[in-house]
Amino acid sequence: MPGRRAVAALRRRLRGLAAATALLLAACGGGERPAPGPEGPPPLVVFAAASLTESMDAAARAYTARSGQAVQVSFAGSPALARQIAQQAPADVFVSADTDWMDWLQQRGLVDPASRSGLLGNALVLVAHVDDPAPEVALAPGVDLSPLLGDDGRLAVALTASVPAGKHARAALESLGAWPSVQPRLAETENVRAALLLVARGEAPLGVVYATDAKAEPRVRVLGTFPPDSHPEIVYPVARVAASRHPMAGDFVQWLGSPEAAAIFLDHGFVLR
Amino acid sequence: MLFTPEETTAIALSLKVAVAASLASLPLGIATAWVLARVDFVGKSLLDALVHLPLVLPPVVVGYALLVTFGHGGAAGRFLSEHLGISFAFRWTGAALASAIMGFPLLVRAIRLAIESVDRRLEQAAATLGANPLRVFFTVTLPLSWPGIVAGTVLAFAKALGEFGATITFVSSIPGQTRTLSSEIYGLMQAPGGESGIWRLAVVAVVISLAALLASEWLVRRQRRGERD
Repeated sequence: MPGRRAVAALRRRLRGLAAATALLLAACGGGERPAPGPEGPPPLVVFAAASLTESMDAAARAYTARSGQAVQVSFAGSPALARQIAQQAPADVFVSADTDWMDWLQQRGLVDPASRSGLLGNALVLVAHVDDPAPEVALAPGVDLSPLLGDDGRLAVALTASVPAGKHARAALESLGAWPSVQPRLAETENVRAALLLVARGEAPLGVVYATDAKAEPRVRVLGTFPPDSHPEIVYPVARVAASRHPMAGDFVQWLGSPEAAAIFLDHGFVLR
Repeated sequence: MLFTPEETTAIALSLKVAVAASLASLPLGIATAWVLARVDFVGKSLLDALVHLPLVLPPVVVGYALLVTFGHGGAAGRFLSEHLGISFAFRWTGAALASAIMGFPLLVRAIRLAIESVDRRLEQAAATLGANPLRVFFTVTLPLSWPGIVAGTVLAFAKALGEFGATITFVSSIPGQTRTLSSEIYGLMQAPGGESGIWRLAVVAVVISLAALLASEWLVRRQRRGERD
C-alpha cells in the first residue's frame, strides 16, 4: 500500500512539474539566436553599452551586409561589460558609455590603446510622458523641477553614484542648482533604459535620460535639453579588446568611424565627435 | 565606523523588508501548503505550477509584472491606493511584496512537505474525539508541521534578503525605501573602486543568512526536545 501511495504521489508531482514546464514554455515564447556555420570565421563579438541597443544592432547588420562577417552584439551596462572583459570574457570589441570604464580597462592593459577613439557623443534631456501636458522647461541655472513632480512624483534616473547616465544627470542638476530639491525625489534604476521605462509607463512623471533614449521611445516627450556645459562631456569610446585574436576586430573598429556607420548613429540621435 | 551611513541604512532596510516579506506571506503560505497537501481538486496541478512559477521565471519578469499590475498605472495598484490607501510603488512595501512573491515557492514547498508527513490517523483520531476540522488543524496538524514552517519561513527570509532583480525592476533603488543590501552591493559594483564596500556588505549578507539558518536549526531542535520530555 505505501508503495502505491508513493507512486501516486510521485505521479502527482510529475504532473505538477509538466504543467509548470508547459506554462514556462508558453511564457517564454520562441527565442532565436544566430548560430555560426561550421565553415567561415567565428562571429565578431561586440560588447556595447545598453544605450546603444538599436543603433549598434543596425550598425552590425550594415557591417555584415558589407563584409560578410557575422557580428554578435552583447548589450549591458558598461560597468558589467568592463568587469566581464576583466574576467576574460570572449569579447573582440568594447564600446563603453563613458570614459571611466574604458580607462579602467586600459590601465589594466585589457584594451588596445592604439585602436581607441572617442566615437560618439550624446545629449542629456528631461523627459515626461507623451500625454503629460507639462510645458517645455528652460533648463537654465535656478530651474525648479519640483512643481512638475507634484506631491509624490519621482524623477527617474540611472544610479547617480555609478551609472554614466546617472552621474551625468547628477552633475547637470547640481550645476543648475536643482539637485538639493530633487535629490529626495529620485527613483534610481540600474540602467538608463529602466529609468526611461518608468516615465514611458507613467510611473514617474519626469526622467533624465540621453537624447537617443528619448528618441527610441514614442511614449515620452522631451521637455528640455541640458546645456552641454552643465555636465562633463558625454563620450562613447570604442577600442579593440587586447586579448582578441579575431582578424576582423581592428577593421570593425575602423569601420565604426566611417561615414556609412556615422549615418546610422546620427539617425539614432547621437552626436558625432 | 565599520559601515558608511548608506550601508547601515541598506542593512536595516533589508532586515525590515525580509522580516515583513516572510511573516506577511506566512498565513497564505500555510493555507496554500495545506490545500496542496490535503485537498484533491480539479486544477490542483495548475495551482502547484503557479505557486512554483516565481522560482523558474526570470526575476525581471516578476518585477515587470508587478510594475504593470501594482504600479501607479496598474489596475491593482490604483484600486489598492484609492480604496485602501495602500501604495507599493517606490516604497519599501513594494520591495517587501516583490521579495514575498519570489520567496513564496520556497515557503510553500517546505510547509507542504511537513504537512504531508503528518500522520493522518492522528488527525482522524482527533476528529473522532469531537474536534472540528479547524481545531484539528490548529491543535494537531499545525504543531506537528512546526519544523517545516520554521524552515520555510527562514528560506523565505533568506530569499527576501537576497532578492534583487524583481525589486529593482519594480521599485527602483531609493535610499531608505528600496535600496536593499543587494541593491547597494550592485550599486557599488557599478563604480570603479567599489570593491572594499562590496566585500564588507557581502560579509554582512553571509552573516545574516547563516544566523537565520542556525536560529531555525536551534528552534526546531528545541521543539523536538520539548516533544520528547
